[in-house]
Amino acid sequence: MTDVGESTGTRLATGMRALNLLRRELPDAVLATDEVLGEVTIRVGRDRLVEVARLLRDHEEARYDLPLYVTAVDWPDREPDAPRFDVVYQLRSMRHNDVIRLVVQVPEDDPRVPTLEGVFAGMDWHEREAYDLIGIQFEGHHDLRRILLPDDWEGHPLRKDYVSFGEPIAFTHNLEWALPAQERPPEMPGSSR
Amino acid sequence: MSVLPPLGPPGRDAASEQHDHGRELLAVAPELDAIDLVQLDDQTMELNMGPQHPSTHGVLRLVLNLDGEVVRGCRPDIGFLHTGFEKDFERHSYQQCIPYTDRMDYLSPLSNNLGFSLAAERLLGVEVPPRGQYLRVIMCELARIASHLIWYGTTALDLGATTPFVYAWREREKILDINELVSGVRMHTSFIRVGGLMADVPAEFYGMVEEVVKTFPHHIDEYETLITGNPIFRERTQGLGVLSAEDAINYGVTGPTLRGSGVPYDLRKAQPYSSYDHFDFDVPIGQRGDIYDRYLVRMREMRESLRIIDQAMAGLPEGPVNSTDRKVALPPRNEINTSMESLIRHFKLVTEGFRVPTGTVYQAIESPRGELGFLLVSDGSNRPYRCKVRAPSFSNLSALPHMAQGELLSDLVALIGSIDIVLGDVDR
Repeated sequence: MTDVGESTGTRLATGMRALNLLRRELPDAVLATDEVLGEVTIRVGRDRLVEVARLLRDHEEARYDLPLYVTAVDWPDREPDAPRFDVVYQLRSMRHNDVIRLVVQVPEDDPRVPTLEGVFAGMDWHEREAYDLIGIQFEGHHDLRRILLPDDWEGHPLRKDYVSFGEPIAFTHNLEWALPAQERPPEMPGSSR
Repeated sequence: MSVLPPLGPPGRDAASEQHDHGRELLAVAPELDAIDLVQLDDQTMELNMGPQHPSTHGVLRLVLNLDGEVVRGCRPDIGFLHTGFEKDFERHSYQQCIPYTDRMDYLSPLSNNLGFSLAAERLLGVEVPPRGQYLRVIMCELARIASHLIWYGTTALDLGATTPFVYAWREREKILDINELVSGVRMHTSFIRVGGLMADVPAEFYGMVEEVVKTFPHHIDEYETLITGNPIFRERTQGLGVLSAEDAINYGVTGPTLRGSGVPYDLRKAQPYSSYDHFDFDVPIGQRGDIYDRYLVRMREMRESLRIIDQAMAGLPEGPVNSTDRKVALPPRNEINTSMESLIRHFKLVTEGFRVPTGTVYQAIESPRGELGFLLVSDGSNRPYRCKVRAPSFSNLSALPHMAQGELLSDLVALIGSIDIVLGDVDR
């Protein structure tokens, strides 16, 4: 039985440790950083992701060796040129008691990121989940299949344009949306009758 | 099912030569040697275990590749309980999300409530008063004991011991009674909410919790008498399903399963939340990382939880349990009768909910199964823009194929029990 560490009050993991290390070792891999409520988010390019993850896992100052998850956030209403998906990775360093969030932005027409399952075995299932629910393609993954939904499911439910609830109900203000043209009353615009 | 290998002349390896030698001794004619038995040992069989199987603790399907009784491969098939909670979050106000969190890890709903509430409170910048924090700790530790009791009962049942199951259920009732007293509901309590608690606890609460703290050490002694030294149980768990610390970390395994492998990492100690740093408790760890060590860790964790509850009850502060921030907390009932502003505020909070400032937080807590994290993204509206649940059972289960490699089929049952998955948590 071991008593670990000492009580230090409410302690937040900041990710500053990772940021300092990356700025020193791979300065050109860091595209942008953001700090909200004491949590650092580091944006990296997808071509440097594997390199960054390996450095964060193996470097003595970092040791972010516990893969927490990977997921993606869909931002369809960003300004036109901005990539639609934020692929979010979170890693924990137990040695230094810290958490870091990495973000890779990918566009809608090319949602690919390299797989990290070679770096963290635990990323395997999380990548399959992100593929299943949001449709991110993890290049080099050995078995990129749906994991939660049935194999023949269509679409990726956690995308914002995937409407998972409600049936279209015809009101006068939305008949064009709710009914196919041949079912609309003849007096309505767009009716084929 | 693979086909038998084609018949042919025996190979020239050592086994075949011995074979030939045996045939010469018995003077068996070569043409009678119909099947070369030496070639049979690469025969494997695919076997479906689950989704309806009592030891998979829910709806987990395992596709096993068996060589005789030895597991050569194991492919978990999950998703039978997938309900799309993360999508549901996006169309509900923050307080309406709380009942959804109950139903993810349905054996310790209070931990899920707490994780989500802490994430939302950090975005809101709301602080819960000390009494609320202490009551949260008490309720979460009671939930941890109740969850470990189910694990204890079902794991022992899987291994053929029926008595522990009945004992564990008897004691769990005491904790469910406390849940019922404080929230009116026995399991999906939704007791912990954004900004505090559903309500302060009634007067009977103190006596009932003290009863638990007083009687449970004796009950845990009883459990240990039944199982801990039991030669059959030890025979079936010691040295089996070993997970090294390196592999556990690489697979993202957390909680008692990680601590069973000897890694003393507990978020209650490492990154204390909700006043956990006020309490003195130990983090038990295992030495070999086998099924038995995970068993010992959980048994000891129940005793540590009792220590925390005892200290929290002794030091329980007076005062409000809910935040006084009127942007989040409902106004007191007596004010609604006299103040128009309070009435409007109450109406707005119940119908529309509160708006949460734009931002992203990741808040993790130590649930009975490991690191339960909520990535909460807010766009400034009254609903989460995106909420990702980092479920401990999901990552822990992903290490099962690695652990099952080379074990016997009958030991796989003990192995599944030892990682203590909840399929509601895996599938969400």
